[in-house]
Amino acid sequence: MGKRNTIGAAVLLALFAGLPPLLHNHYLTGVFIVCAIDGIWAASWDFFSGLTGRENFGQALFIGGGAYAAAFLNGNFGLNPWFSIPAGIAVAVVFALLVGFPTLRLKGPYFALATLASAAIMQQVAINLWQYTGGSEGIYGLDTLIESSLGFYYLVLALMVATVVVLGLIARSRWGTIMRAIKGDETACQAAGINVTFYKIASLAVSAAFAGLGGVLFAHYQQAVTPDDFDVFLSISVIIMAYVGGLGTIWGAACGGILLNLMLELMRGLGEYRLWVYYVILMVVLFFMREGFVAPLWRRLRGGNA
Amino acid sequence: MLTVLIYGAVTSAVLAMLAVGFTLIFGVARILNLAHGAFYAIGAYCAYSFTALLKLPLIVSALLSVAVVAVFGMAMERVLVRPLRRSSLAVLMITLTVALTVEQVLFIAFGSQSKNVPAFVNFPINVHGVSVDGQRLLALAIAVVLIGALWLFIQRTRLGSAILAVSQDPEAAQYMGIPANRIFTIVMGLSAALAGAAGVISGPFLSVRPTMDQTAMITAFSVVIVGGLGSIPGSILAACIIGYSQTIVAFYLNPEWTGTVSLVAILLTLVLRPSGLMGRVVNA
Amino acid sequence: MSALLEVEGLTKHFSGVTAVKDVSFTLEAGEITGVLGPNGAGKTTLFNLLTGFLPSDGGAARFEGRSILKTAPHVIVNLGMARTFQLCRPFHGMTVRENVSVGCLAPRVHAGGGLDERVAEILGEVGLAHKAAQPVEILPYGDLRRLEIARALATRPRLLLLDEPFAGLGAGEIEPLVQLIRRLHDSQGLTILIIEHKLREFMQLVSRVIAMDFGEVIATGAPADIVRHPKVIESYIGKGANAIA
Repeated sequence: MGKRNTIGAAVLLALFAGLPPLLHNHYLTGVFIVCAIDGIWAASWDFFSGLTGRENFGQALFIGGGAYAAAFLNGNFGLNPWFSIPAGIAVAVVFALLVGFPTLRLKGPYFALATLASAAIMQQVAINLWQYTGGSEGIYGLDTLIESSLGFYYLVLALMVATVVVLGLIARSRWGTIMRAIKGDETACQAAGINVTFYKIASLAVSAAFAGLGGVLFAHYQQAVTPDDFDVFLSISVIIMAYVGGLGTIWGAACGGILLNLMLELMRGLGEYRLWVYYVILMVVLFFMREGFVAPLWRRLRGGNA
Repeated sequence: MLTVLIYGAVTSAVLAMLAVGFTLIFGVARILNLAHGAFYAIGAYCAYSFTALLKLPLIVSALLSVAVVAVFGMAMERVLVRPLRRSSLAVLMITLTVALTVEQVLFIAFGSQSKNVPAFVNFPINVHGVSVDGQRLLALAIAVVLIGALWLFIQRTRLGSAILAVSQDPEAAQYMGIPANRIFTIVMGLSAALAGAAGVISGPFLSVRPTMDQTAMITAFSVVIVGGLGSIPGSILAACIIGYSQTIVAFYLNPEWTGTVSLVAILLTLVLRPSGLMGRVVNA
Repeated sequence: MSALLEVEGLTKHFSGVTAVKDVSFTLEAGEITGVLGPNGAGKTTLFNLLTGFLPSDGGAARFEGRSILKTAPHVIVNLGMARTFQLCRPFHGMTVRENVSVGCLAPRVHAGGGLDERVAEILGEVGLAHKAAQPVEILPYGDLRRLEIARALATRPRLLLLDEPFAGLGAGEIEPLVQLIRRLHDSQGLTILIIEHKLREFMQLVSRVIAMDFGEVIATGAPADIVRHPKVIESYIGKGANAIA
C-alpha cells in the first residue's frame, strides 16, 4: 500500500479511535457513529459507481432494505439484533439482483433514473403498507447492538475500516480491472471475452451488501426506521460524499462521508439553513472539483507520484 | 362513470401540461430537468402569495406567477445548467439540488401546512348530470389552449422553426446562424412557464405544500418516460393513459396508491421498452 | 478437414433494408481470407452477426461445428473467435498493459499466475512493449490499432476477425501492420478474416477474397481474379453512364 499511505491511514485511524473517549461526550460519540456509517455508505457507492462509472441514484434502496430488515427481525419479531446483520445484507443483495437485472443495460442517465425510481417505489411501499411497516411513522423500539455508545462506535468504526479494506482489495484485484474496463468501453469488454452483465450485477450486489450493512447499523443506532431511509435525499447525500472524497478511490469516499457529516454537525447552529450549505457544497464540487477534494488533497500533501 | 371520465380528463390535462414542458426541454436541449416539479411548486406558491397575501387581482397574480417561474427557469439554465451541459449526470445532480433547495426554501418561508389558493371559478358546473368543480373544468380548458398554442407556435413561427432545428442538431443549427445557447434558455423559459401555469391553475384544487414538487415531478416524469422522452405527442398520449390510470385507482381502489402507479409505470417502461411509446432508443 | 467457420444463408434485415442477404462461405483453418466491397455492402454487419453483436434473421453459422447464432459476444470469444473494431475502442482511463490484461482475464485463457508474463509476451509480439505503462489516451492511432489486435490476441483466438485494420492509418504505418498480421499468421497459424477497402495491402495479405455488394456475396476466389471480376468492378464504379443518370 505504500509507506506514506500506511502512515497516513494509521494517523487517521488513531485520531478517530482516540477522539471520542477523550471528548467523553455521549452526543459527540453519536455524531462519530453516524460519520462512520456515512463512510460505509459512501465507500459502498463508490465501489460500484466510482469504478464502473454507472451512477446509481438509488443507493438508499439498499440502505433502507437493510434497515427495514433489522426492524422486522428485531422490532417486530424480537429476534436478537445481531441477526439483523446477515439478514440486512441478504435483503440488500436481493434488491440489487432484482433491480440490477432489468436496469443495468440502460444508458447512463436512464440507469440513474431507474435506480432513483426503484428507491422511490420502495419508499411509497413502506408508507402505504402501514400495517406491516408502520407507515410514515416507521418502526421503533429496536434494540441497540452494544449498550455503551463508545462500544457501538468502535464496532461501527471497525466495520467501516473493514469495508474500505475489503472493497479496496477487490478494486485493486482483477475484478476491479474488469470494472474499470467496463467503465472504459463496455462493448470492447465483451469483445475481450468478459461477461459484462455478470460483473455489473455482481459488483452492484457487493455495493448493496455493504450499503445494507450500514443500514442495519443505522437502524440499531437510531433504534428506529422510517421511510426516510429510502429517501432520494439520502441517495444524493451518499453521492455527494463520494464526489467530495474522490471517485473511484473508496477510502476517499469514506473520508468524504465522515467529513460531510462532521460539517453538517458543525453547522447545526444554522438550524434549517444548514441543508442549503450542503447543497451549495454540492454545486461547488460539481463545478470546480470534479476530481473531488480529499483524494487530490492527500496526493498533494504526500508528494511524490502514484 | 361519467365522473371518472371528466375527472380523468382534468388530471390528464394538468399532467399533459407538466409533461410537455419537461419533454420539450429534453427534446431540444437533452436536459433531464429534475427541477421541473419545483417550477410547478413555485407557480402555485406565487399564485398563493400574490392573491392571498398581496391581495392582487386573480388574473394579475396568475400572469405574474407564470412570469416569475419563467424567469427563474431561464436563470437556472443560464447560470447552473449551461456550464455543466457536457455531463448529463451533472445536470441531473444540479437540477435535483435546485429542486431540493427550492423545497427547503418554500418550507422555511411558508411552513409545512397546506395553503389555500383562491379559485378563479368558485362554483360547480353541471355536466350531463355530474356536478364538477368549475375550477377543474377551467384547468382542463386552459391546458388544452396552452398546449395548442405551444404547438402552433413551434409549427408556425420562425422562433418555433429555430427551436425545431436546434432539437435536431444543435451544431448544424449554429452553422446556420441560430444561437443554440439562447434557444436553450428560451425553451427552458417556455417549459418553466408551462409548469408554473399548471401550478397556478391547479393550486386551488390540488394540495399546495412544500413537497408538492416531488409528486408533480414523479408523475410528470412517468408520463414523459411512458410517452417517450422528447416526443410531445407521446407525452400527451401518455398523460391520458397515466391520468386515467390514476383516476381509476383513486376512485375504485385507494387514493394513496396513485403515486405508486406512476412509479411503477416508470420502472415498467424503462425495463420493457425504454424508448417509451414514441421516443428514441436508449439502450447502453 | 472440416471447415473452421461455416456460414450458410445468413440474413439480416433493418426495418425494410436487407443489410445481409443469404450469405454463405466457409473458412478453412490457417487461411487469411478477405472480405471486399464498397461502403454499405454489409461487411461490418456480417462481422457483427458472426460475433454476436447483432441478432440474425435467418441462416446458420458454425464455428468448429458449434452454432454461434443466438450467442452472447463474450461466449463467442471464449469459443476462440476474436474481433477488432473499425474505430479503435481502447479502455479509457487505463494503461496499454492494463488494456491487454483484460483480454487475458477471459475465462478461456485461465491465466492464473503468469498473467504479467503473458501480457508482456503479447505486447512484445505487437511491438508495444516499450509503451506498456502509457495511458491509452496519448497513443497515436497506429499504436491504438496494434493495441486492438493485442487485446484480441490476449484471448487466444483460433480465428481473428479484423474490421478495416488499415483504416485511418498514415502511409508509414500500413506496411508495418501488414508485416505484423503476416507474422501472426505464420507464427501462430491463426486463421484470419479481414474486411478492408485498401486494395493493395489487401492483396498482399489474403489468399482468398469474398466480394460483397448490397448485402450479397457476388464473387469468391483468388485476389487476382476477383480484382478483374466484372461484377466486383461494377460494385465499385457503377454500371457505367447509367449509374449517374
